[in-house]
Amino acid sequence: MTARRVAARFAITCLALAVGFAPAPARAQPSAPDTTLDRFLGGLSDSTDAYFGRAAVPADSTGLDSALAYGLGHPKELARRGRWRPDFGPTLGFNRVDGPLYGGEFGVGRSRALGRFDGRLRYAVGPNLWLGGGGWRRAWGREGRDWQLAVNGGRETATLNRTARQHGEPDDALGDLQALVGGVDSRRFLRRDGWSARLSRSASPLTVSAAWRDMLESPRDVTTGWSLTHAGLSVPDNLHAAFGRVHEATLDASVRFPRWPIFGEATYDVSRRVLGSAFEYRRTRAALGANFGLGRFAALVPEVAYGRLSGESVPQAAFYLGGPSTLGRFDGDSLGGTSLAIGRIDVIGAKDVLALVHLPHPAAFPLQLGGYAASGAVWGPDPYGGAARPGVDWPGRELWRSEVAASLIYQPGLPTPTTMLRLDVVRPVGPGPRETKLRLSVTRAMALLRTFGED
Amino acid sequence: MPLPFLSLLAAWLAAAAPSTSGPTLAREDTMHTEVSEVLVNAPRVTLDEILDRVARGEARRDSMMRDQSFRTSLRMVIKSASANPQLFLETISQVYKKRPDKVRSVLLRKWRMKIGKKDKGDKDDDDMQLDFGPGMGEEVVNFAFQPSARRDFKYRIVGRDLVGSHLVYRIAFTPRSPLDPTTPSGLVWVDTNEFVIVRQEVGFERSPVPLFLKGIPRMVIERTRVGDYWVLKRMLMRVQTTVPIPKIGSSFDIAVSFDDYKINQGLSDSLFTAAGATRGSESSR
Repeated sequence: MTARRVAARFAITCLALAVGFAPAPARAQPSAPDTTLDRFLGGLSDSTDAYFGRAAVPADSTGLDSALAYGLGHPKELARRGRWRPDFGPTLGFNRVDGPLYGGEFGVGRSRALGRFDGRLRYAVGPNLWLGGGGWRRAWGREGRDWQLAVNGGRETATLNRTARQHGEPDDALGDLQALVGGVDSRRFLRRDGWSARLSRSASPLTVSAAWRDMLESPRDVTTGWSLTHAGLSVPDNLHAAFGRVHEATLDASVRFPRWPIFGEATYDVSRRVLGSAFEYRRTRAALGANFGLGRFAALVPEVAYGRLSGESVPQAAFYLGGPSTLGRFDGDSLGGTSLAIGRIDVIGAKDVLALVHLPHPAAFPLQLGGYAASGAVWGPDPYGGAARPGVDWPGRELWRSEVAASLIYQPGLPTPTTMLRLDVVRPVGPGPRETKLRLSVTRAMALLRTFGED
Repeated sequence: MPLPFLSLLAAWLAAAAPSTSGPTLAREDTMHTEVSEVLVNAPRVTLDEILDRVARGEARRDSMMRDQSFRTSLRMVIKSASANPQLFLETISQVYKKRPDKVRSVLLRKWRMKIGKKDKGDKDDDDMQLDFGPGMGEEVVNFAFQPSARRDFKYRIVGRDLVGSHLVYRIAFTPRSPLDPTTPSGLVWVDTNEFVIVRQEVGFERSPVPLFLKGIPRMVIERTRVGDYWVLKRMLMRVQTTVPIPKIGSSFDIAVSFDDYKINQGLSDSLFTAAGATRGSESSR
């Protein structure tokens, strides 16, 4: 022990003794609190009181102490009844392989307590088939740095383009509505019977997950050709999935860069015969996107994605292009291949153009201006049976499809904050026919990534 | 003392009093002095440094609290923009929190206006209650000042107020991108003695859900000091809807207030084993 430490300890001991033995009246009184800040904040509160009026009036506290004593003494009586009260609801759907879907869904519990149980049962009128399943998910740890475990099983109709499923997006209700009303449905479907489990760990800014699934995948045929307007089906057939039981492991990571509004994600799926799977493939997809402000008037949203499938080129593991989130002049998923590259840059206005031009309109329907430029390609064996497109790591130059669009956008705020109903005037760029196309669609901003939409 | 003298004195005082109320000021102009100029070259604290200190101050505030109990009330006032606002619902609860993940709330009062003859009012209406998480970080106050929020917001110093021995910074924050309409902008008051946020006003550039909401013209979040800690005092918000809601109107206020705080009182674990106690984070409803 150094001399300085000894001296310090001695001084502290003397100080403690002096304080301890000092007569009580001699003790220093705590200084009066500085009330000037309280008065300053009180002045601001007064203006708040004046603005909010009755809402700012404190609640009457009469009887609250006795209510608290009763509540503490009778905890079961006042416990929330809703914690284990199940939620029920109907569920409806429509597509050309299932036809009308009628059923119900339920949920009970909370993911942070014993877990949340969800289930759904639906009858598909087209093939006369019961579909449904259930799942349990549980989360623990504090928010932002938590673990999540989810186990699901059952029989469901899924889409061959798996990006939306891996992005955890809900059922495509608008796609069902378009199919029901006008027969407009470019989705390709398959059936999955089996179970899956996923363990995720979030530790901002990174989220990683590992998943396993054991599912029998089977092709589906079109069973329903009608629509409410008696229009024919926009896509009269359904691309068949390869039949077989798949055992697939998935590793997934997504990141939000700490200081920049940049988002990234990567997914690796592997299905091996040595794991008991019917298929042998490895599938990798990575995407990067950003959200920059152009003042308060617009947002600049660039995004890129790249994917490769090696091994067997089964249609349910292929990459697809087309639709409002990628290349709008092509119908959804109408181009396919074992590899994908796409870049897109959106400009999305934030101001209500109708208000800017002083055009009277309901407040519920502000319209924004926007536009985008996109270029993408798929290459490798074609799941639709066409000739294989040249390219290994990168596509041939002639495979790139490019377009620009001007858009009128309505952002309703539901079901996600950046969900957009957009009317695009799309014009192809580059060689080939330059037919301008008008397209009405629903999408969300930065749809090539899951990260932004989930926040 | 003779009465005429008193009358005379009163008349003289009345005549001598200035026409306006308040003290009479006199200026001393017979003495002069000069102080030589002193060049102060200490660097002014940068905005980045202030933001770092606010993040640290808020983290420190959070880490100092081991447990807390408070009483909270949720009130909704309808027809708030009219001349006759009405209390629509009121819920009061006593809340206990303890690190790391314990929370319990005891319902003290529940009341809701009946809408129509068949409506049972507050009976069987569980959605009226607030759920609380165990955290004491008060993210509703400091969400824009957490280190990870720097990528989402731009900041600027709007002003400084010298209040007694406190220097209060007013810092405005706005979203870096207008893409997400649910990201608010706002103004916070930061007491630089502890670098904690003492008040916040939040607004939205455009309606977050235009289909239903015309806008949220004003939202105020206030803190108050309880002992050594700054804690939530109340949150008030005015909501305007695009179409009038039957019986409610097109404007209503929501107020959540917090009082009767007790902090670090050493809450027993047994308090959290009863029915109604939960573990882990839960969102507010």
